[in-house]
Amino acid sequence: MSELVQNLIDGLGQGSVYALLALGIAVIFGVMHLLNFAHGELITVGAYVTYASFTNGISWYWIAPILIVTCTVTSLLIEQVAFRWVRGASDSTLLLTSFGVHFVVEAIFLMYVSASVKTFNRPGWITKTVDIGIAKVEVFDIVVIGVTMVVLALTAALLQRTMFGIALRAAASDFDAARLMGVRSNNVIRGAFALSGALAGVAAIFWLMRAGQATPAAGSSPMLKGVLAALIGGLGSLRGAVIGGLALGVAEVVLRSQLPNAQLQGLSNGFVFVLIALLFIFRPQGIITVGHAERV
Amino acid sequence: MAGRSLFPDVRRDVAYPVGSAAVLFAVFVGLALVYQTLQGGAGAESLVTKVLIDAIMVIGIQVYIGNTGVLSFGHIGFGAVAGYAFAVVAIEPTQKQTVISDAPFGLADVHLSPVLAGVVAIVVTLVVAVVVGIGLARSGAKSGAVAATVITLALLFVSHELAVNWNQVTGGDRAGLSFSIGDTLQSRWPVYVALFGSLLVALLFARSRTGRLAQAARDDNLAARAMGINPQVQQMIALLVSVTIVAIAASLRVYSIGNITPKFFFFEYTLVTLVMLIVGGRSSVTGALTGVAVISTASEIARRLATEGYEFFGIGLDSTGTDWLFREGLPDIVLGAAMLIFMIVKPNGLLHDWELDRWLHRRTHHADATPPVVEPAAAPAPVDLVVTGAAVSFGGFRALDGADMTASNGEIVGLIGPNGAGKTTLVNVITGIVPPTEGSVVVAGSELAGQPTHRIARAGLVRTFQNLRLFSSLTVRDNVEAAALSASAAKIDRPRVDIDALIAASGLWEMRDRRSSELDYGNSRRLELARAAAARPRFLLLDEPTSGMSDAESLTMIDRVREMARLVGAGVIVIDHDLGFITGICDRIYCLDQGQVIAVGTPDEIQANPDVQAAYLGSAAGA
Repeated sequence: MSELVQNLIDGLGQGSVYALLALGIAVIFGVMHLLNFAHGELITVGAYVTYASFTNGISWYWIAPILIVTCTVTSLLIEQVAFRWVRGASDSTLLLTSFGVHFVVEAIFLMYVSASVKTFNRPGWITKTVDIGIAKVEVFDIVVIGVTMVVLALTAALLQRTMFGIALRAAASDFDAARLMGVRSNNVIRGAFALSGALAGVAAIFWLMRAGQATPAAGSSPMLKGVLAALIGGLGSLRGAVIGGLALGVAEVVLRSQLPNAQLQGLSNGFVFVLIALLFIFRPQGIITVGHAERV
Repeated sequence: MAGRSLFPDVRRDVAYPVGSAAVLFAVFVGLALVYQTLQGGAGAESLVTKVLIDAIMVIGIQVYIGNTGVLSFGHIGFGAVAGYAFAVVAIEPTQKQTVISDAPFGLADVHLSPVLAGVVAIVVTLVVAVVVGIGLARSGAKSGAVAATVITLALLFVSHELAVNWNQVTGGDRAGLSFSIGDTLQSRWPVYVALFGSLLVALLFARSRTGRLAQAARDDNLAARAMGINPQVQQMIALLVSVTIVAIAASLRVYSIGNITPKFFFFEYTLVTLVMLIVGGRSSVTGALTGVAVISTASEIARRLATEGYEFFGIGLDSTGTDWLFREGLPDIVLGAAMLIFMIVKPNGLLHDWELDRWLHRRTHHADATPPVVEPAAAPAPVDLVVTGAAVSFGGFRALDGADMTASNGEIVGLIGPNGAGKTTLVNVITGIVPPTEGSVVVAGSELAGQPTHRIARAGLVRTFQNLRLFSSLTVRDNVEAAALSASAAKIDRPRVDIDALIAASGLWEMRDRRSSELDYGNSRRLELARAAAARPRFLLLDEPTSGMSDAESLTMIDRVREMARLVGAGVIVIDHDLGFITGICDRIYCLDQGQVIAVGTPDEIQANPDVQAAYLGSAAGA
């Protein structure tokens, strides 16, 4: 029982980060059909900003807003430099463009910082655990889950209540129709990148406090998890992305704790990929179906 | 000539590709050897070997991505499987004892010759490819499908995780597996043979029946199925051919370098090979080879600029002043930037789908200037299409509500009705594109309702589309030929009609070598008709064949449709809004309204029918 609770909280802690990343990916896929393999680069940029901040003695509670601003600005910048030129291109072209951005950003850090790992000292409370009666859980997991719930609630309010949110959801369900109804595509796309960047900023805080280091390839792993979570949820479905992220987190933690020996545990990522491939084989549209019916 | 053979036209589809493979091989290897001689030294020699092997790998990947349009990030994952399979059985046991002494199945004691080890690598990789291919098919892989790309990406990561963690076989993350010094690839000949072989196979595959059907499905999956093509079969064959070449390339790569570690076949090599393929042009073998040459050159220049500075025409570019650019990481940024810039400026690559053998064929082979004239096939035995109680609900809306219809292959039947009456839905049900909720569709005594679209097409129900769906990158003739090949591949026993005769009868003879996306609206409609006729139909189902045409064009379409139906001996079921056309061409007309048949009769009867007038003009007019 206590193990189950512990795994669940662990998993939701992991899954919250994936959910935030996946939501950002789903928002962008919704408005321009781009599966963004460059989403993790926001974390890479964030990692170096965090490293610089810590080495300059800035304390952790300032780093949170700094990261959110950094990721939002970077996201908008990447849109301006790369994605705006391929708007409306085929899905493959969009996907390969993001793949290109991913490698260019990685190479820039390789060139101008270094290939070596830069570690930073995280605040002590990150690794503390607390006994909540039935299980021992990390304080940080509780913080992550709590903050994520607040952020998701704010995002939901933004999408449901504001003009921008309504325009964005309209564009996600039918981009051409939304444009005909007077939604400004430029603003919606930029807004989507800003929102996606801000969500990635929150995810970056959590991810980096756990990782405690910056490398040129720091964004690869979170990017992959985010993309997978978005796909599990049914690409383009915002609710699905959140569910997919949480499910992926829980599945990872449960697999890791249930596999019998260290070697198989090392393979737990591999098992997760196999599970996801199986999901696509039996349910290619993901958990939540988003209609993209072909008209005949 | 077309028959049932794998290559429709021996001269065009075998002789020209073989010649082109020789030319491409000679030019590519020639350039590489010139560089090697001018540069000299062991470094240049191993660089050339590496580039030649990269070329084999990229050609292997091109066979799949180019012909199916499915973007695979996982081919280097297949490479990892092959590379390890090769290394495990080819490395000397004494060398293996130190790293993988506890390998299962006594693998540590196996020692095969490089050729046999290559065969093992191919077999193991093919087994994995069959599993992955089934997964891809299940996920509905088609050009641009994101789920398919992610499945291939999952393969890349699973193979990497296995390589890192399955120490007993792979030697783990750090050590990997190594050949003894001096035990590696000594001669360049295996590489030459493999490169020529892969060029040959890739060019031949693109011209083969399977390749042509795969390309049709790449351009339009739904239209391909409606012509009787099962894209999943063509994709699987393309995958197996492609992966065989990849396995050979991976074995050679391991054998020439002399060792293998997990990072050998992972993200970095995926990027390198993908950039080569995309920059050159993924739809063409010549393009793939061009991409290898261009990117290898650019990478080597970048590498030298980054590490040693370089001289261009005597101007030394040493570190002073250019240090900000010429430093570690430059080759990586060149690759990433190449991908980005090409996606933005030239997403189809340098050569797009230009192919040497096709170009040579066009330049040197002039087909007869006059189209062949053929007599129509003898009237086929009468066959009936019987639709009973067809019903379809979308949510709560009944688009089709128990429609009955019959047609025989000797007549032309019209479907009319106001917008939303269910005409297109009825044709979609008959051709299996929308499965009926209830009802049956019977042709020649066999039930077709609920069958997949390609089976229904093979049973003789072939359609055109309201919103044009041509195989847009293929030529006019290749569009028609794809449908004809689909019919011959499915061993349909109805008589075939000459492709050129169909093209001529549709008035497209002068444009037969034009890319079909260049045709205007009317010609596109005529091409759709010719393509459907080439699939040896019993019934042609035409969805608004005159939409977008002028009145004069519509009237000439009457003769075209009649001529086409007579040539192939098929009945016609036609939807149209142009009353002049419909009454001019049809023997009988069904009028639909709100998903039901409200009237049936000759054109005159239908025009006089008060229910029909009411449906078109509103109930007031009929009252």
